Formats: sequence, C-alpha cells, structure tokens
Amino acid sequence: MSTQHCFRTSGLSGERITMKISQGIAVVLALLVAAPAVWAAEAAKEVVCFESREGGASDVLQREIAPGLLNVRCSPTTGGVLWWGDPYDGTVPMGEMPIEADYSHAEAVVKPRSAKLTLLPICGVACHNGTYPPPPKNKDPRKLTMHMDLVPDSMNLQHGRGAIWCLDCHSAKTRNKFIGHNNELYDFDQPQKLCGKCHGQIYRDWREGIHGKRIGEWATTGKKRWFVCTECHNPHDIQQGKRNSGFVQLKPEPAPRLPKGVYNADHERHHLQKGAAHGEAKPASGGH
Amino acid sequence: MTNKKIPVTQPADQSSCSCSDAQANPACEMPDDNVSESRRGFMKDVGGLSVASLMGTAALLTNSDEAQANTEWAEWFQGNYRLMTDEEKARAVARLERRYSSEYGKKVTVDTTPAQDGVLFGYALNIQKCIGCRRCVKACVQENNQSRGEREIEWIRVLKMEKGDFSVGKMKDGYPGDFGIQVGGNAYSASGVVLEGEHYYEPEKVPDADAFYMPIACMQCEKPPCVKVCPVRTTYREPDGPVVVDYNWCIGCRMCIGACPYWARRFNWGKPNLPKEEMNPNTHYLGNRPRMKGVVEKCTFCIQRTRKGRYPACVEVCPVGARKFGNLLDPNSEVRQILAKKRVFRLKAEMNTYPKFFYFID
Repeated sequence: MSTQHCFRTSGLSGERITMKISQGIAVVLALLVAAPAVWAAEAAKEVVCFESREGGASDVLQREIAPGLLNVRCSPTTGGVLWWGDPYDGTVPMGEMPIEADYSHAEAVVKPRSAKLTLLPICGVACHNGTYPPPPKNKDPRKLTMHMDLVPDSMNLQHGRGAIWCLDCHSAKTRNKFIGHNNELYDFDQPQKLCGKCHGQIYRDWREGIHGKRIGEWATTGKKRWFVCTECHNPHDIQQGKRNSGFVQLKPEPAPRLPKGVYNADHERHHLQKGAAHGEAKPASGGH
Repeated sequence: MTNKKIPVTQPADQSSCSCSDAQANPACEMPDDNVSESRRGFMKDVGGLSVASLMGTAALLTNSDEAQANTEWAEWFQGNYRLMTDEEKARAVARLERRYSSEYGKKVTVDTTPAQDGVLFGYALNIQKCIGCRRCVKACVQENNQSRGEREIEWIRVLKMEKGDFSVGKMKDGYPGDFGIQVGGNAYSASGVVLEGEHYYEPEKVPDADAFYMPIACMQCEKPPCVKVCPVRTTYREPDGPVVVDYNWCIGCRMCIGACPYWARRFNWGKPNLPKEEMNPNTHYLGNRPRMKGVVEKCTFCIQRTRKGRYPACVEVCPVGARKFGNLLDPNSEVRQILAKKRVFRLKAEMNTYPKFFYFID
C-alpha cells in the first residue's frame, strides 16, 4: 500500500529523472527503460514523498542528513511529509525581496524549483535558442508540436477562465523564464513576482505571512523557508472544479481509532446520508 | 507563575555550599557546628547525589537494575515541578534522561527551557483553507510521542462540518427534524439546520466540495477551566501561554478532561504504546517526554520546539498553510497581522476562557 502512494512507478516525470542524474546513477536510467520490475525493487529502498502538492512539484527524496536524523519523515499511508529534520535542507537565499516590505531583519530562503525542472537549462540554449515557432494568432487551446508530454494539461488550461494562455506567463523567446506584462523576465524560482502581478491581495498576504506556508523559526526575525506559489498550486489547473480552492485534492490520513465498543462510524454516516438528501432535495430541508 | 516567583524554601543553597565551598566560604561552615553527625552525613549525600546527577549525562546508556530502581524510587518522591529548585529539576531531568535513554535505546534529552520574557504564543487557523487531510494530526503524534495503535491518542481532531445555510427562505422552515442542530432563529423557528461534525470521515480525496473542516486542539486558554479544577495543581499555564501538565504530579483524576469545553485533553488508560524507532528523542519536561499510565496529556504548542524557536509541528506540516503561529506581543508577527487584517473568531468565546487560538477566514 505504501509503495503505491510513496513511489510513483508510472507517469515518470522529468523531475524524477533529474534527481537520478544528480545522484550520478546513470545506470538506473537504463534500468528504468529496460526493467520496470527492477526499478520497483530499487525504488522500494528510497522513499520519495511530497511536501505540499502531489505530482512531482514538491517531491523530496528521503535521506539521512546526520547520523540518525532524516531530512524528512513521511506518512506511510499518503506519502506526504510529516516532519522536517532540517527545514532549510536544499534551500537558497530568497534573494531580492519585495521592496514594499522590510525584510532586512529576517532571513528568508526558498527551495529552488528550477533544480527539479530537467529541461529548463536545455530550453534556454538547445531547442529555443533564438529559433522558435511562429507566434500563434489567437489564444485557443492547441496541441503543442513538441511538448505534449511535458504539459499534459495544455489542452485543459484552467487558469484565468479562458482569458489567458501559455505565452501570457511563459516567455516565447526565453523559454526558461517567465514573462510579465512589460516584457520583464522572471526566474522559475521566483514565481511570486509574476503571480503577484494579477493576484495582488494574495501576494500582499503572502508577503506578510498570512497566506501560504513557511517553516523554520516562528520569530519575526527568525530564519524561515518560504514556500513559493508553485510549490502548493499548479498554475495550469488552479480552478479546481466545484470547490475552486486552488489546491488539488489529496488522500487524507486515516481517521482516528473508534472508541472502545464502537465498531463503525455509522452514527456519523447516518447524518451524512441524510445530509446529502437534505442538500439535494431542497423542499425536504427542515425535516418536515 | 514561574518558579522564579514562588518563594524557594528548599535548602538548595545550603546543600550546594556545605560540601564543596566549606573551606572557601566560612559562612557555609557555620551552621555545621549545630548539626548532628547524621545531618552532616545527609548533607554530604545530597551533595554527592548532585555530582552524580551531573555526571549522569555521561553515563546515560549504562543501565543497571540498581540505577533503574533508584530512579523510580526518586521519582515517587519528586515534587511539583513548579516548586522544584533548579537543582532538583536538574536531578529529575538527569534521572529521566537516563531512564528514557535506556528504555528507548537512544540518547534522549529532556529540556527544561523556561519561557522567554516578552513572548506570548498565539495561534491562528484559516478555516477556509483547511482541507481536512489530517496531516497535522499525524505530525503531532510523531513529534509529541503520543501512544500509537491499540491505545491511540491524538491531540488534534479534525471535524468535517456541513456548510452552514442561513438563507432567508429557510427562516420559516420551523424546528429541525430528527437530526441536526438548529442554527439561528429561536426555539420555534430555526433559520437553518446544520449536521453534527464528523470525526471519522474517510473519503478517497479531500476536500469535499460541500464541507469545511475544523481542526480542534487545545486552545491554550488564558483562563483555563482545566487548571481551575485540578485538585493537585499539576496543570497550569506557563508565562508564554501554553497550558502544561507535570505528568509526574498528575494523579489521573481526569477532572480537567471533564472541565475542558474543547475536548482537548486525553487520558492514558494504559501504558502508552510508543515504538522505539518512532520515539522523538528531543523532549521537554512539560511537553512530549514519554508519558506513563494514568496521566493526562494535551497539546502544548510543541513546547520543546517553540521554546527553541521552531514552529510547532502542525504549523510546518500543513500542506495548505492554514496554520499560523507567532508571538502575540510582537506587532509584526504573523498572528498579529492576521488579527489586524482578517475576520477572526474564537471557539466558544462565550465561555470566557480567552483562548489563544484564533480561527480566521480570508
């Protein structure tokens, strides 16, 4: 059960491959192609769990950072990170801070996301170095010539309710950068600068620590790792259907143990079922 | 209510100077003329014991039956934590570290870091953001050495709540039927009905579109009813906010559990089941050190972490960043920003418990 959730054996992403390369295990790559069974056995030893959002963007490889101290401890049932041994593991200084806020007193670090995006350095030099397809004339969704595998949700972009599309955020010329309204370029590690252009109120909340996630020291002057927008939100499908919360649905951790002598939670389900009927059949509401 | 404020009547200073400083400090030697041989011997023993306890850290992993027995013997005669002198605390800590280290097979530290001046911990939870994934619950269990398995104890409960409905159209619907809780209106006409909170929800995915989720743990009240009822005064409020329990002084009467309006306290009905490999060795005396059978435990805002500057475990683990923590006395802290800018409520505010746990919405 744990392997099913913790180690994704299918849907191999570019991010996973980067991790492998960074470890210098090129052999594993060969194994990946040749023998999935061997790969599964190999994967059983290493635990990959996700920090905030599932699906590769916030995956972290479990390892020992000091004798007896793991960088993260993961949930055996859902594969989510439950505990950080070192909250600053693998982070870099956030760099230039928003000018409106005074952060000279605090130390802010982020986990560079570009390190996980395999093709990012290649985008800049190899394929899209000055030569790129002619700019499309409208913003209708279309199949990408090359990268359907990279952007599986390109045909179903759920962001901006049809008003925006790929090249409103991604630079057409410098493919490894974001682009703003005034053709200014932003790094993939600093997506908040781009996102904040439209989502100003949320950006201000994030800057002040009301929105978003930080780990590390609680003191205002303490060192904190800030989670940037794309570590929790997938900008390509941010409108999550009915709930529209901007956060992908997750498998929850197991429910608490029932009290002694109680064998099921039907007393709650009873309410739930009635509740469902109550919600659907409007005239019946109120119980009469 | 720190130990600083309580007048110390224990003979800590005497015992520390009577043996080692006797020659250097004549004032220490003076009372010795008036004490009998047995008393002098007693004082020497005390001095020897304190030296032994200091050395105890080095000899942590040596586990002899005699030491074990001595430890348990001494624990029975240990005082209330708030009345202990610093020396007594050091001895108690050394005893506990020795016992836990041998029991769990690793180097366990028991911290006694006191509250900092100018710090009052506050907690804020964005109830609109919570997705009910229960990761805070499990992170808390790992961090705070709660009992697992058969005797599972979880300090945080996440309630799945039906979304409320206050529509005008329902104003005349009358009294709720055979289920649910009346919302608003009066005894004769409710303005709406909500269902009771669900503890044991287990869908494939959360959040459910029709629900919101309300995590509940200790509210760290400023006027805690649990503290008022404790007959032995083992539970009390620390100067920086958390309500804590001195497990050794707890008699297990469970009065506090009955008094708490938030269902925040848990009782160890049996010996807690804490696997060695999962035990968190960084503990605090008033926080996550392993508990014994028959004592009450509760959330302490992760006192072992927050006193050292780290966020509580549940704050760090929340995947949606719904949980915020900080110093209420610092106007720039995250919690103060929330109090200033967001719509905030406290659970059961009408009980006048003045919780330091705030729920807010965007």
